[in-house]
Amino acid sequence: MLALLWLTPALPLLGFVILFATAGRLPASAVAAVGVGSVGLSAVIALIITASFLTTPPEGDFYRQVLWRWIAIGSFNPEVAFRLDPLSLVMMLVITFVGFLIHLYSSEFMAGDEGYSRFFASMNLFVAAMLILVLADDLLLLYAGWEGVGLCSYLLIGFWYRDPANGAAARKAFIVTRIGDTAMVVGLILLFTRLGTLAIPELMERAPQAWPAGSATATAAAALLLGGALGKSAQIPLQTWLPDAMAGPTPVSALIHAATMVTAGVYLIARTHVLFELAPAIQLAVAAIGAATLLLAAFSALNQHDFKRILAYSTISQIGYMFLALGAGAWTAAIFHFMTHAFFKALLFLAAGAVMMCIGDEHDIFRMGGLWRRLPLAFASFLIGAASLAALPLVTAGFYSKDMILWGAWTSGRGGPALWAAGLIGALVTAIYIFRAVFVVFFGEMQIAARSRYGWRIAVPLGVLSVLALGGGFVETPAALGHVEAFSRLLEAVLPTQREVAAAPATQATVMAIASFAALAGVFIAYLVYLRRVRAATILDTSAVQRLHRFWLAGWGFDWLYDRVLVRPFLWFAQLNRDDAVDAVYDGVAFSSRVSHAYLSRTQTGRVRWYAGWLVAGSLAAIAIAVFA
Amino acid sequence: MNALLQEYLPLVIFTGISLAMGLALLVAPFIVAYRQPDPEKLSAYECGFNAFDDARMKFDVRFYLVAIIFIIFDLEVAFLFPWAITFGQLGVFGFWSMMVFLAVLTVGFIYEWKKGALEWD
Amino acid sequence: MNEASALYPALPELILAGGAMVLLMIGAFGGERATSPMLSYAIALLVVAGLAIAAMPDERVALFNGSFVVDGFAKFLKILAVLGSIGTLWMSGDFLADPDRRKFEYSVLILLATAGMFVLISAGDLIALYLGFELMSLSLYVVAAFDRDNVQSTEAGLKYFVLGALSSGMLLYGASLIYGFTGTVKFAGIAQEAANGGIGLIIGLVLLFAGLCFKVSAVPFHMWTPDVYQGAPTPITAFFASAPKVAAIAAFVRVSFSAFPAIAAQWQQIIIFVAIASMALGAFAAIGQRNIKRLMAYSSIGHMGYALIGLAAATGEGVQGVLVYMAIYVAMTLGTFACIVSMRRNDKPFEEITDLSGLARTNPAQAFVLSMLLFSLAGIPPLAGFFAKFYVFLAAVKAGLFTLAVLGVLASVVGAYYYLLIVKIMYFDEPAPAFDPMGNALRSIVAVTGLFVILFFAYPGPLVEAAAVAAKSLF
Repeated sequence: MLALLWLTPALPLLGFVILFATAGRLPASAVAAVGVGSVGLSAVIALIITASFLTTPPEGDFYRQVLWRWIAIGSFNPEVAFRLDPLSLVMMLVITFVGFLIHLYSSEFMAGDEGYSRFFASMNLFVAAMLILVLADDLLLLYAGWEGVGLCSYLLIGFWYRDPANGAAARKAFIVTRIGDTAMVVGLILLFTRLGTLAIPELMERAPQAWPAGSATATAAAALLLGGALGKSAQIPLQTWLPDAMAGPTPVSALIHAATMVTAGVYLIARTHVLFELAPAIQLAVAAIGAATLLLAAFSALNQHDFKRILAYSTISQIGYMFLALGAGAWTAAIFHFMTHAFFKALLFLAAGAVMMCIGDEHDIFRMGGLWRRLPLAFASFLIGAASLAALPLVTAGFYSKDMILWGAWTSGRGGPALWAAGLIGALVTAIYIFRAVFVVFFGEMQIAARSRYGWRIAVPLGVLSVLALGGGFVETPAALGHVEAFSRLLEAVLPTQREVAAAPATQATVMAIASFAALAGVFIAYLVYLRRVRAATILDTSAVQRLHRFWLAGWGFDWLYDRVLVRPFLWFAQLNRDDAVDAVYDGVAFSSRVSHAYLSRTQTGRVRWYAGWLVAGSLAAIAIAVFA
Repeated sequence: MNALLQEYLPLVIFTGISLAMGLALLVAPFIVAYRQPDPEKLSAYECGFNAFDDARMKFDVRFYLVAIIFIIFDLEVAFLFPWAITFGQLGVFGFWSMMVFLAVLTVGFIYEWKKGALEWD
Repeated sequence: MNEASALYPALPELILAGGAMVLLMIGAFGGERATSPMLSYAIALLVVAGLAIAAMPDERVALFNGSFVVDGFAKFLKILAVLGSIGTLWMSGDFLADPDRRKFEYSVLILLATAGMFVLISAGDLIALYLGFELMSLSLYVVAAFDRDNVQSTEAGLKYFVLGALSSGMLLYGASLIYGFTGTVKFAGIAQEAANGGIGLIIGLVLLFAGLCFKVSAVPFHMWTPDVYQGAPTPITAFFASAPKVAAIAAFVRVSFSAFPAIAAQWQQIIIFVAIASMALGAFAAIGQRNIKRLMAYSSIGHMGYALIGLAAATGEGVQGVLVYMAIYVAMTLGTFACIVSMRRNDKPFEEITDLSGLARTNPAQAFVLSMLLFSLAGIPPLAGFFAKFYVFLAAVKAGLFTLAVLGVLASVVGAYYYLLIVKIMYFDEPAPAFDPMGNALRSIVAVTGLFVILFFAYPGPLVEAAAVAAKSLF
């Protein structure tokens, strides 16, 4: 059954080819059938493969499928090969399954859009590229998928291209991530030149032999790969593109900019964790960046008015948690959080999309209110997603994964309590901002007419994802709560497990209790400030707080900063340099090309005797060259 | 090198004999021929051109068609002679080779015929 | 008939030659009515010949005392040539439908030309080389002037004939010099004698190369190319640009490596000179062209320059590069010319570049594929044309010819200008009136070549490895 592996990316790719080739000539029902069906089939195959993988694990806990040798030039002969191991298995399952649900949702959500076929073509291509990314056995193929998802992200952010603002957002996403991608390419070249291969298993085998821990080359390689991961996963300092990326349709935000693509950086680091372990400084940087990002984005999320931007900052913040876990060496926790995050964040986006669809595409949460009566399903699913995001204890998936991260941070050798404290504050703020959204949108006074008009294709994904956002966490629970270890056992073969700390159970329970308290406290604060509007909340209206609010609203002024530090000086310099000497060289090339063209075309007289003369002269010249050279 | 050149000795002899014969035939009329010129006799034949004239004149392409056909069959004969002389040693394969060659020529001939290349009008 | 079964390696040639004669008879008795079925018969014959080639073993087999050689190299190039011929006939349907052009000889001539190419590719001595060369050329002279009521077409045919006769005279003269100085016409024999051939042999070699350069239209033997490409009817121009180039390059490579390995240093110099001159002229002279067929003429001159880089490297990798280059070149050329053939309004052909204005709006699919083909011709990654250039440049660098590789890259930069100009005209200029809808035959060629060019990067292995096997059979 494992041999079916190639079909999982191939089917969405086929869907893309069909939709692309027919270029919108298919009827909408056929488009939906192809677009949703291809990913659905892919999900079914992924399930079959998973069942087969779990019941009869292949030897060495991985399955390698070589499709063909891509190219052979000297020692550079990469193969197009897929590698299925527990890590890619988890990724593949989440991508196909959540992807399928989002496709199903989109088939209704996007109905009537003039780009219906184009939308599904891009979405299918995205799923194919993402699967290639996670299944790749070779960093080169991984990079192909990496660029593929970047392209689809660009196409889908700018999906409604008639509005120039959307085009600008798409460009911004593309250019900012490109900075990271460039670093990554350099990193790949470095790895290839030093280790002579790009196949991941060989790389991970050769790296520790070639480089001692902490060596400069290993640090450089890890830093360059980290650059790519930062861009793709929207971490400081390359986080600015993600909030703007919300210009795309909501299902796109759910699939690409929440559940899957933005976690590619997490996957990359987990996949090449051996390199990062050889570079402790970089691993520490990963943790620090994660901690900083999660705080920064959480505070920004607290101040957004736009429904989707709240979720966007929340995504940045949650990926910050994953980076924190990676940096702390809690590899499994990062992947675990990736999975639960995919469930609840997709759910939040889809529920938010459903809400906005029913109120005439209004994005400002302060123009909504009291919607829970009108849109009970959207409310229920958003509430479940919010609870999971806020990590409300015991019943939500987010609780278990976040707890695992915080515990990993606490026990990690580097930074330990400091990282844990950052995560804890983040947890508090997370609970506040997401329940702020819950209270403002769904409670209080009705301010806008709402008409519930979603059918089963929207309801089913919401329901399924709600179940997963609640129950998805029970595959891994801490020692104090049942001590289920199914998830980390599965990933043991790929990722190193955390060290067991001696005084574990009691400390772990305390740490967990504190985190739970933080989450509950956050919900309570949000309740007081945004629903009860207690007197103390008037402090929010003072000018100092307003200024802070505006600062956080603008994402800590990173856009402003980059505009001043990078964009404007560059434009200024470019303008200054308009007629520069280097340009003159190119003009000179163009001019001399035109001149030589003029001379050369004059030789083409059309007279046969002249041509014959050329033949003879050419032969004489050739004889001269052969004899005298 | 010398051995190679010696192989060509018969060719040299052949060239010499043919030169002598050709010259003899050219010179003989001057000596023995009966001469009584008139304008018709001195003009070019009806199918030819004036020997000295503007080269850029229109001419009937059929002359060349006939010339080309002649050359083809001329060469055919040139092939047939050595084949006929060594026929005894060539065997079945040699025989059929020439038959194939003749068949190829016949195909061309039929094509010419059907296309009307052999009709003057 | 033991001897007859020994002829098996020459089966494709026999199929084509015999088939051509049968078609000639059918045509002679059937007249004009036979024209369009004739086209299908000819394509069928070419397909059968192609299958026969594919079924040949890869081992080297020599026939007729070594005059005729079948090996992996010949197989590869014959398949390429036959694909070029099939593509040409495939796109000629509409062209022959015109009442003035309903001449069945067209298909027969293409078949005979292809048979000539096969002989040229398989030539194991100078006589077979000349035989194939002439069979191919004579057919080409006639098809160039196929539109005999059109002044440009007749001019093209005449020029091609006169200059071709001159070049084949030079080739023959070179061959006789070589024979004179080595005492043999067999490539293997020449290879043994070449080391002490002296200056006379070199002059012979240069003249032989001059004849071949003329056929691949390498500078300075290229002068006929723009005039003939522009004057000849478009499907025939497509033919000139594809299959005969393959055959001539094949002869070039085979002569160089099997007859003159001993004086490689000398012919390398000539090839380097010719390659640089071709690339430069192909880049610079094309810049200001307005007629797209003329532009493609310069483009093909430039491309032959790139292909010759691989030969100049004088290594197995270089030959592999040449073979990969030719395969990709044939695909790109056929696709581009299929697009040019389709430039018709009210059944009249249009050939100016400005006629393509705004094609992206009148026919977006065609504009997209044509731009991909042009990008590929310019050598922009990840399209097939990039890999073609990559392999020859790689071979040149490995052989230490850094200057040549650098000049090649520079020339391709200049060349990119005029390809991109066409793309710009298609996408950004005000639309000209729409062309007539494309026929299915043209559409299929454009689709197949477009897919090949776009998807080649994903799986280059088979072609590259086939080329490596073919190249190995020469050494």
